[in-house]
Formats: sequence, C-alpha cells, structure tokens
Amino acid sequence: MGRTRVFLLARCLPLLLSVLALPTRAETPDAALAGLIADARAEAATPGACAQPNVDRLVRIFCENRLRAGVREYYPLFGAREGQTRSGYDVDVARALAGRLGVEPVFTRVNAATRIPLLGEDRIDVVLATMGHNTQRDGQVRFIRPHYYQSETILVGPRALTVKDWPDIASRTICVTIGSGSNAQIVSHNARLMLFDEAGVLPDRLKDETCALAAQDDSFFAFYFTEPDFERRFERKFGFAQVPWGMAVARSAGTDRLARALDLASQIFHRDGVFLDIARKNRIGTGFLERQQAVWQRPTCNTDAGSRDPACVLPAFNADLQPTPFAGRVVAFEDWVEARTGIDLALPMFKTVPAWSLFKAGIANSLILVVGALAATLVFALVLGAAQSAGSPLLRWPARSLTVVLQSSPVVLTLVIAAAVAQAIFAYSSAVAIGAAAVALGLMNGSNAGQAIAEAMHTLRSEAGTRGAAAHGLFGHAISRSATQIVSFLINAAKGTPIASFIGAPELLSALTDITSFASGRATTYSMLLVFYIAVVAIVVWLCGRLRDWLERRQAS
Amino acid sequence: MTAWFPRISDDFVLQLLLGMTVNFQIAALALVFGLALGALFAWVRLAGGVVGGAAAAVIGLMRAAPTFVVMFFLLNIIPRDATLFGVGVAPSGIMTVALSLVPYSASYVADNGAEALKQLRAGSTLGALQFLPNVTRAFFVLVMSSSAGAAIGVTEGIAVILREAELMPALGDKLVLFAVGIVFFGVTLQAGFALMRLLQRRLGRLATRG
Repeated sequence: MGRTRVFLLARCLPLLLSVLALPTRAETPDAALAGLIADARAEAATPGACAQPNVDRLVRIFCENRLRAGVREYYPLFGAREGQTRSGYDVDVARALAGRLGVEPVFTRVNAATRIPLLGEDRIDVVLATMGHNTQRDGQVRFIRPHYYQSETILVGPRALTVKDWPDIASRTICVTIGSGSNAQIVSHNARLMLFDEAGVLPDRLKDETCALAAQDDSFFAFYFTEPDFERRFERKFGFAQVPWGMAVARSAGTDRLARALDLASQIFHRDGVFLDIARKNRIGTGFLERQQAVWQRPTCNTDAGSRDPACVLPAFNADLQPTPFAGRVVAFEDWVEARTGIDLALPMFKTVPAWSLFKAGIANSLILVVGALAATLVFALVLGAAQSAGSPLLRWPARSLTVVLQSSPVVLTLVIAAAVAQAIFAYSSAVAIGAAAVALGLMNGSNAGQAIAEAMHTLRSEAGTRGAAAHGLFGHAISRSATQIVSFLINAAKGTPIASFIGAPELLSALTDITSFASGRATTYSMLLVFYIAVVAIVVWLCGRLRDWLERRQAS
Repeated sequence: MTAWFPRISDDFVLQLLLGMTVNFQIAALALVFGLALGALFAWVRLAGGVVGGAAAAVIGLMRAAPTFVVMFFLLNIIPRDATLFGVGVAPSGIMTVALSLVPYSASYVADNGAEALKQLRAGSTLGALQFLPNVTRAFFVLVMSSSAGAAIGVTEGIAVILREAELMPALGDKLVLFAVGIVFFGVTLQAGFALMRLLQRRLGRLATRG
C-alpha cells in the first residue's frame, strides 16, 4: 500500500506541478460555448428577464427560442428558395448554428443591399448571405471569426479561348458587375470593362457570346458549372482577389455574447468538419474548408481564444482606397450642393487616389488623342490627296482602293484592325493603344478628306485646261478649295476619339468607366464626360473654323 | 475552307447577316427619331428670333456631341428599372445605340431640312428634293456608326465578327476575317450609295419634266 502511494505520487506530482505552473489553462471552445449557452439560458429563464428593454441578444434568442437568420433567396447553391423550401450552404449553416444553440431557425430574405441595414434595424440576429469580409464593412457590422467560407473572383470564358493569366487579358473586354471590389484589379491589367448591374445576367451574356470573358465570384459560377451545357462550353481561366466570407451580427450594444457564441460555434464547425459536410451536401468547393479544418484542429488554435488569435484567423480583405488630400472638401461640396439644390451630386473621381490618378491620366490622354487624331487626319488627307491626284496609276489606284476600303469599314472595325496590327508589332501599352487609335481615326477621316482634295484637284485641272492657267501650284489651291470638307473631317476625327476606349486607349471615357466600376456616382460622372467632350469638340470646331477661313483667304488671294 | 482561309464557325455568315439586320434596325430607329426632332428644329430655326437662335444653339450642341459618349451617357444615366406612369422606360441595348445616334441624325436633318425649306420657298423643287438622297446618305452613315453598339453588348454585325476573331490566335486569320466583314459592310454601303445616286437621277428627271 505504501509502495503504491509513493508510486502514484511520483507519477502524478510532475503533472500536478505542471498544471499548477500555468496561470490559467486554455479552455476548449466546446466548454466555452457550453458555458455561454448555459449562462444565457439561465438568464432567459429568470422571471421578467425577457421583458427587459435592450435584453442581451443571446438571451433574447433563448427567450424567443429562435435564431433569426438573414439569407439570400436567389443565390444558387448558397441561398435559394422554392416555395417554402429553402436550400443552400448558407441556409444549412444557419440551421446547424440554431441546432447547436438548441433553438429554431427563422429565415428572412436579404440581398446585397439589405443585409447590413436589416441587421442594424434589429430585424435579424445574424446574416449569412455570401458577404465578403472587407475592411470597409468592418465598421458597419461585427464579423464572426473564423470565416465560414471563402470565395475568389474567377475569370470564366469559352474553352477555346486561350487565357491563362493576367498578361493574356490586356486589351480584352471583361464583363463585370458594377461595384465589384475586384474591378480595380482587372483595370490595372489594361483590360476593358463592360459593366452590368446584376451578376445574374453574366452567364446568359457568356452564352449568347456578348461577353467573351466574365469575372465574378467563384461561388456564383459554381451553380452554372453544375449545368452540363455550361460546363462543356466554358471554363474557369484563373482566380484572384480571395475574400473570406463572414457571418455577421449587428455592432450595437448587447450583441457581444451572441457574436462570441457564434465565433466559438464556427471554430467547432471547422474543427469537426461540420462546414465541410454541409459544403459537400450542397456541392460547392471545399478547398478552403479543408485547409481551415487543418488550422482549427491544431492544438494552438483549438482553444477558446483561437478565434482571436491572428495566427489562426484570416484578416479581412483590404478594400480601403486611399483618400485624396482634398477628399474632405469634395464631400463638403457634395453636401453643400445637395442641401441647396437637392441634387445628389457624387464626384468619385476626386475622392480616392486611384480614381484621381485615372481621371487626370484620362483627361491628358484624351487631349493627346484629339491632337494626334487631328494631326493624323491632316497628314493622311494630304498624302492620300496627293496620291489620288498623281499622274501615275501605280500611286493613284492603291490610294483610291485604300479609300474605298476605309469608307466601307465601320469605325469600330477599323479601330480593332489598327489595334491588332499595332499589338502584333509592339507590346501592348497605353501609348500603343492611343497611337493605334490616332492612326485609325486619321486614316478614316483623312481618306475622305484626301478624296475631297483629289476631287478639287480634278476640277482645278479641268479649269486650268480650259482656261489655260498654269498647272503648277494646283495642289495648294486644291487644299484651299476643299477646305470645308477637310475641316468637317477634322471635326469628325475629334468627335470620334472617345471610341478609342473600345481598343483600350485609356482616354477619359475609359478612365471614368473604370472609376464607376468600383465607385458610385455614375450619373454625375457621365454627365461630366459629356460636357467635357462637347467642350473639346466645340474648341476644335472653333479652331477648324479659323483654319478654314485662312485656307479660303489663301484661295481668294 | 482552304489553307489561307481561317476556320470559321459554320453559322458565322448567318450570324453576321442577322447582326447586320440589327445595324439596319438601329439606323432606321435613329433616322425616324432624327427626322421627327430635326424637322421640328429646322422649322423653329427658320422662324428666327430668340426661339430660332435657341434652336440653332441646340442643333450646334447636338452636332458636337460624340455618339460614343452619348451612348455611355444614356446607358448610365437611365436606371434599369426606370418607369413612367408605371410603364418601364429603360431602353434596350438596341434602343440605347439608336438614341445615341439621334443627336447626329437630328442635327443632320435640321441642317438639310432647313436648306430644303429654303429651296422650296425660293421655288426650287429640285433643290428641295435633294433632301431625300441626303437622308439616304445619312441612313448609311448611321448603319456604319451603329457598330458602336458592340461596346455595350449589342449583338450587331461587328460584334459577331469580333466574337469570331476572339477565337483566332493568329493575326493573319483575324485580318482575313476582318476583310470578310469589310466586304459585307462595303457591299451594303456601296449599294446604298448606288441607290442614292439612282434616286438623285430620278428626282432630277422628275423635276426636269415638271
């Protein structure tokens, strides 16, 4: 007996000492969650507690025996509804959470616009609605950590289209939805954007070939890839801009314990593979959840403090754009205009550094393009006019043929051809796109103006023949005689410059389209754009008027 | 297909022709709106005075407005769910392109319409009838300009060509395809101009007989 006591003491003493040496032993998330639930249930059971104003949200959930969850209804595989039947990953996660708390789930329909306001108005307890956790939203709601899913933006296109990485998308048009956080990243790789209000139209636009490429959350396209026809025709090209998805509760008083309970439940669900099972049941991607399970099974993370440990949880996606030094004054001006006129003025191009840079570059590039297009028009007019007036058919016929071809080609097609040839010779850059656009606009308008010069030359030659005047110096007179036509095609060239955005020239239309893809204020932005271009064309008209007067005076003398 | 000719989709020609009908549809809509608006402005401008001056200023602004910018302006300024007396008024893609061409067509009609009215008042029927071939010319310019719709996802002729070109990796193949597009549009344009010249000759003969 004595030997047994000595043996036990010898075996247990080091263990006892090691336990006593710890200031506090880390509790398991299960124990912490059980404690929270037990305390809240006990409070809910206290007479009169449920009738208290501003009752704690977790306590109220037990008072009402329900968890009010905001979920989507039109987001296939994540939140869908057919009659009274709801399905999807988010819906099943809400059910699992309610089950863990021992209450009934009650669902409320939310969408991207209403999910945060409904939390703020206390019409739901928690939102599970495909909501990316970014730094901008951190100030509006309290996100539950660890995140219950992660999406990334993927580029989807026809299988026959060779696009593997960023270099392959330069100068291509990508269909995106307005306000998507990843648009700025796409723009930075010299792609053009075609904007849509709703993601729901993107698969149809891919199918009817309006869009060659579309960018949207992988979670969104997951459903469409379950359709055999869509899967046969299209594929995921590559992904970027990973964003963790968070459940969220309101940031108001009385939500701390609810948030803490959900943190712990989320942690347990990752560790035990509950999220994974729900994902598999709903046939969505599980890569992120498998990685997270490994994280939350680690002893260092599988503690009640794990959800606060930066080594275990993921950071929010940084969506903050650096404000300009004068952003505050711009906001004050917007408020001033709204207060006095009721007009909801929005000037996003002045408020953030990326938007301001795009805006300045857009104006500069537009002016360069206008000057380039005018110069190219004038040069091609003179060259093609001279060639079409030449005595040698070797010069005359190629020039005439080129003019007919250019007249027969719609402006967009001519620009695309110029861009394709330029990109075959030079590596793609903004300067190449602007140069190609200037040449294309110059060729189109210059060929017409050149034809006018040639026709004037023809009449002058006829007159010279009949009147016996000197044939030399006729070309100068032909230019003067066709002044009105030359001027009208110069104006046409200036008016055509915004179309250069179609081939990726970063002029003002292109810049403002990029800005509005990640900021608000489309009405103000495009109104400003229209005013800018009308002003530019008006100045060109005035300058061309002066040129015409000079040419006509020259002809008269 | 021969070795020098790129492999194109079986239904490409059909799709291109269908796309070109959209170009004609857009041009027709733009011309109808332009005729209505332009005729009104021409009449008001000829009336003179302050109202006439204002009409001339509006025509000048319409003349200076770039079609492509007007198209994006309309696309972004009109909400997708816009209604008037409970009826949805948000324009379709085709209508947006057509409306963006209205400033051009209206100013063109106003300029030529005013000239035609002047000729008519001066007793020159033939001069006034020149308005008809001029409108025909404007129609074919509008057909060519309607290709801008490709930028906002309207499936017109150029959009069909560009869609096919996206699948071609070699520049040579793309250029052959673009040449096919130019032939299709070029034949249409030249046929239009031939029609215009025929119309001019007919009108000339009519006026001479008169």
